[in-house]
Amino acid sequence: MDNREGSIRSEGDSPGMTDAEVSACLARGRAGDEGAILELFHYMHPHVLRLVRANLPAKEGAEDLVQKVCVKVIHNLHQFSGKVPFLHWVSRIAVNTCLNQIRHERHRPEVRLGDLSEDEARVVEQLAASPTELDASEKVAAKELVDKLLAGLRPADRLLMKLMYLEGRGIEEISDLTGWSIALVKVRAFRARIQLRKSYARLMKENP
Amino acid sequence: MNRIDDQLNRLFRAAAKVEAGAMPPPPFGLETRILAAWHTGSPRGFWDGALLKRGLVFALVIMGISLCPVLQKNTSSQANPFSEYLQLAASDTTSQFDNAP
Repeated sequence: MDNREGSIRSEGDSPGMTDAEVSACLARGRAGDEGAILELFHYMHPHVLRLVRANLPAKEGAEDLVQKVCVKVIHNLHQFSGKVPFLHWVSRIAVNTCLNQIRHERHRPEVRLGDLSEDEARVVEQLAASPTELDASEKVAAKELVDKLLAGLRPADRLLMKLMYLEGRGIEEISDLTGWSIALVKVRAFRARIQLRKSYARLMKENP
Repeated sequence: MNRIDDQLNRLFRAAAKVEAGAMPPPPFGLETRILAAWHTGSPRGFWDGALLKRGLVFALVIMGISLCPVLQKNTSSQANPFSEYLQLAASDTTSQFDNAP
């Protein structure tokens, strides 16, 4: 396995494990060592939890989904070839499980200015009034506003926008994580962006 | 750049700065559930069940056996569609000669 584990986000939360330790753990886990399975579980848990929380709109189902992802990973350890970093492989399983979970979601609320909190409405005003970046104090309100705007998108588009703009992942990385072709990622991103623009423009119109 | 695009970009940049915060440790019982699932073995889906595969093979064998006579009959009649008439005609001619004075 090459030394690319560090490039995976949320590495800092995982219990420290070098590539060699991960490989050794994988080998022991495949051989049926219960301790190794537990070590792998503790290693991937923070990473899986972060991905699930970021991509699942309803937080109450997060624990079940984390369990589902971890069980999938552990059952399919024999399929892990080692060509990509372990956490990268785990991310792919987590993202696809989240996508399957939210795929059939029908409720896509349209965001209105009246639905925004005071802080969120102030963020909209600030964005319109000044070309400068938002203050650090407004980042939480900005995140909530973004979540509301993203809630109006189709589940797959929402996931794509989060991966692209909030997590800063590139097109190739998203393609790798989701299993979509690069062309599909680009087309989806383009359409989602148009949809977001419309929603935001509607908000701006309502803003006196 | 479009004014809306610029505002959206600034909004996303600000939102991306929000830290997810430290991830809590696994909840009580999750470790046990994971181990239990691991001991149970890989869950079998509908399509990868050995019973289903055996059932499909068995159904194919039954289909093959039941179609065999029909196919054989078809091939024999297709070889010469008038074979039954020829046989009848031949037997009739023979019986006529047999009965001749």
